[in-house]
Amino acid sequence: MKQHPLCTDCENSITPLELPIPACLKREWAAVETRRRFLGRSGKVLGWAALAGLFSELGLRDLARAADVNSPSAGTANPLGLPHFAPKAKRAIYLFMSGGPPQMDLFDYKPNLAAQFNKDMPDSVRGNQQLTGMTAGQAHFPVAPSHWPFGQHGQTGTWVSSLLPHTARMIDDLTIIKTMNTDAINHEPAIMLMNTGNMNAGKPCLGAWLAYGLGGMNDNLPTFIVLQTKTNPKENNQPVSSRLWSSGFLSSEYAGVGLRSGADPVLYLADPAGVDRDVRREMLDTVEQINRQTLAEVGDPETNARIAQYEMAFRMQSSVPELTDLSKEPQSTWDLYGPDARQPGTFAYNCLLARRMAERGVRFTQIYKRGWDVHGDVVGVLPTLCKETDQGTYALVTDLKRRGLLDDTLVIWAGEFGRTVYSQGGLSQENYGRDHHPRCFTTWMAGGGVRPGIAYGETDDYSYNIVKDPVHVRDFNATILHCLGIDHSRFAYKFQGLDQKLTSPVPAHVVDGLLA
Amino acid sequence: MIAVDKLTVAIRNLRNRSLPLQWRVTLGLSALLLLLPFFFRLDGRSHADWLQFLGSFHPLLVHLPIGMLVLLPILEFAGTTRLGLRESAAFVLYLTLASGVIALVFGILLAYGSGGTGATVRFHMWGAIALLIELLICVSVRPAWISGQQRVYPVLLAVTLLTLSWTAHQGGSLTHGNDYLTRYMPGPLKQFFPSATSASDAAYIGSVYALNIHPILDAKCVACHGAHKEKGGLQLDFYDLLTKGGKDGAVIAPRNPDQSLLLQRVTLSPKDRHFMPADGRTPLTTSEIAAIRAWILADASPTATSIPGIAKTAEHFEPPLQPVGDYNYLMNDIREMQRSEGAKLVPVSSKLSDGLILRTIDVASKFDDAQLARFERFAPFIVEAELGRTAVTDASFETLSKFKNLRALHLEGTRITGTALAKLSSLSQLTYLNLSGTNVTSNALAPLKAVPNLPRIYLFDTPAGLDSAPTNKNMRSAQ
Repeated sequence: MKQHPLCTDCENSITPLELPIPACLKREWAAVETRRRFLGRSGKVLGWAALAGLFSELGLRDLARAADVNSPSAGTANPLGLPHFAPKAKRAIYLFMSGGPPQMDLFDYKPNLAAQFNKDMPDSVRGNQQLTGMTAGQAHFPVAPSHWPFGQHGQTGTWVSSLLPHTARMIDDLTIIKTMNTDAINHEPAIMLMNTGNMNAGKPCLGAWLAYGLGGMNDNLPTFIVLQTKTNPKENNQPVSSRLWSSGFLSSEYAGVGLRSGADPVLYLADPAGVDRDVRREMLDTVEQINRQTLAEVGDPETNARIAQYEMAFRMQSSVPELTDLSKEPQSTWDLYGPDARQPGTFAYNCLLARRMAERGVRFTQIYKRGWDVHGDVVGVLPTLCKETDQGTYALVTDLKRRGLLDDTLVIWAGEFGRTVYSQGGLSQENYGRDHHPRCFTTWMAGGGVRPGIAYGETDDYSYNIVKDPVHVRDFNATILHCLGIDHSRFAYKFQGLDQKLTSPVPAHVVDGLLA
Repeated sequence: MIAVDKLTVAIRNLRNRSLPLQWRVTLGLSALLLLLPFFFRLDGRSHADWLQFLGSFHPLLVHLPIGMLVLLPILEFAGTTRLGLRESAAFVLYLTLASGVIALVFGILLAYGSGGTGATVRFHMWGAIALLIELLICVSVRPAWISGQQRVYPVLLAVTLLTLSWTAHQGGSLTHGNDYLTRYMPGPLKQFFPSATSASDAAYIGSVYALNIHPILDAKCVACHGAHKEKGGLQLDFYDLLTKGGKDGAVIAPRNPDQSLLLQRVTLSPKDRHFMPADGRTPLTTSEIAAIRAWILADASPTATSIPGIAKTAEHFEPPLQPVGDYNYLMNDIREMQRSEGAKLVPVSSKLSDGLILRTIDVASKFDDAQLARFERFAPFIVEAELGRTAVTDASFETLSKFKNLRALHLEGTRITGTALAKLSSLSQLTYLNLSGTNVTSNALAPLKAVPNLPRIYLFDTPAGLDSAPTNKNMRSAQ
């Protein structure tokens, strides 16, 4: 081995514990370098006991435990000092339109485009933008105006596509953002950026940050629940992975808990025949004892998460059946949500569940609806997508409003990017396709903390560039945190020597114009 | 170092005047004690672990000399009748001195080892040094008092005891926090110690201070200079406390930004150890500093609504919530409740004066009128009562009428009929009332007209909600 000039002892390599680095970094290293992770990563065949002995010698165990002070389960009333200020919204429901809905076919009304039909989009509009491989080779970029008429709705007279008749009825309750923009042009990085504030995997998502920072409001249901909508095979479904609701470097108890989109939201929920509640309780108590022993011996903070999740699973055995039992819903519910809502796994059903979770104190619910990736056959697919989601969305907001829940619930509707005004593939009078477009797209929020009945920002005549008041994904997330009483610039977790934030590292701003 | 030289010269001069040995020793030891802090300079950094280890015995050791020193006047007084006791007083005095020196050394090791610094630590240290020097002089003058030549000793002993009280108070503040004496003081006594918690900025709504200056302080300073931490005895979360200043005096000199400590500290070089915000927290931006400067230049007024040089930005200014008062003394009960399984009290935000939320969701079906009555002692501090789907009945309105700071009341899905809704008319802060899914009729709602500002009443799925004309034009009733 080549000896480092400063190293006087090349036999024993130095560990981070001996380096002249801040103690907090050492603690973090110790927490990461516990046995389980060490084995998982290196795959070296070493005796467990030998390792445990080795690590306790290094004092890793105690250090790892000390690192646990980062965790809010330390038992005090308000360990993180959150919310920073009195919040407008206690909870949030995020309707995620995965795939990238076409903004100019839904909300971003561009009447002048009709005259531009099939004309090439001027080069000056596109500038030097690099396109995706799917349309970069196109010789022409023919403008495809929206196939559907728009109408003015509500007291505000906001323009909405005829594809969204239900959404149009509640338009005065929405805060529409026409000038969202993102850094990524492909699904995976863009959807990661939307959810975790970073294009690379490994960062906690919005829901995990909220679970970590604000904690739960209910002991019997998870703080953060993810609902997937059943896919429609006719649509272009981009994959949605658990990375999007992962807790990243935060403890895994803050990750989203996914419910299945079938009739059984949680498999094997009931105790097996012959096992009554007491037996189950006894079993869990013993498992917890063993886990606590492991924690004392090894000091891996993930053991804490494991203990917490066993307990949560036990309580969910009674709370989830109650949550998903819709038999007591009055007829007015079914009138509002529509016939789809009776089918588990549909978007409308998930919206109804989201309302029930809001009533039962779930802090953050995220509903994924895939299929918005309309590269071709917009005229064929988009009406289906809108029909699947429009009524459920309207019903959710309206239901929350009439029950007095919209005052302290923030509803968010967003995809990961927008779509191009020029047609991908052939353009005809009857049909067209649209490619990914990161420079502008439309999202909306409603409820606690945001100003209802506004359309924020302006795009150019081609719905291609932002003319006024851009809202970057990070600003969007900063604004969401603000509504929930969190100052995004102060909400940080020390990891890898950095104050990691949902909105870091590029500066983000709360968008004042969106706030009530 | 000049001071040290002067001292040595003084000692040399004294030696030439052939002082009695007793006094020479006294002076020499005093000089040593005074020099001690110069050997162990409290530089705010922590030093070797073994220093800290030894230092951690300081709290143990320090109580021995304290006890003996308190015993001393008792022995001296009792000695007037029982001479034997007076002899033991001399022994106790020497023992006090010796154990005091040991405690001091360990105390300095603790401060030096752990990197303790700051005004309270320094006061505590210098208090202890003064105390020991006074004890040394006591030792020297006591024989003269015994033989009846002088009467300095009793006076000196009294002074020593006063020094002890002050020094011990500094130590108590270090260990238990600045407010350890007043925190649990009974209310009637407390009024003689005006504390910070009564402060409120409610009178300044809409001023430049409230819109532009307070948010800067709130974001950058209050984490350490607020109700939770009060570093340097300074609190910046309310105007009254801001003008009061901290241990180093006032931090704002109206019309004189350059003399204002607050501005000096934030404009130092970031490497300076007095630079604020400390510990690598986000520094103030140049525009924030400019705003504070302009505000101080304009007399640091809390009410002025326009000040040259400060743009009125905050379009969406949130008026501060009505503070609910200090419930710190109930904090242990609140924490206990949060750990147990049952109804919980949850702070609205990190600002305690924003009040508490009563959360019953985990025990809703078992939460009845009697349970609610148990929360009466928290009544003025609860701003939101989440009683949806609980077992409370109309009888609970009596209790609820005592929640005088209540802003939001959830009663959805309960068995109330609304016969006693009139009791809510005393709740001046109430702006949200959810009666969805109850049996409230529109007749029962009539008394709510008397509630001063109640814009949001939810009547979904109630007999009242089905009536076509809501009784209040602001009421939202959904069918």
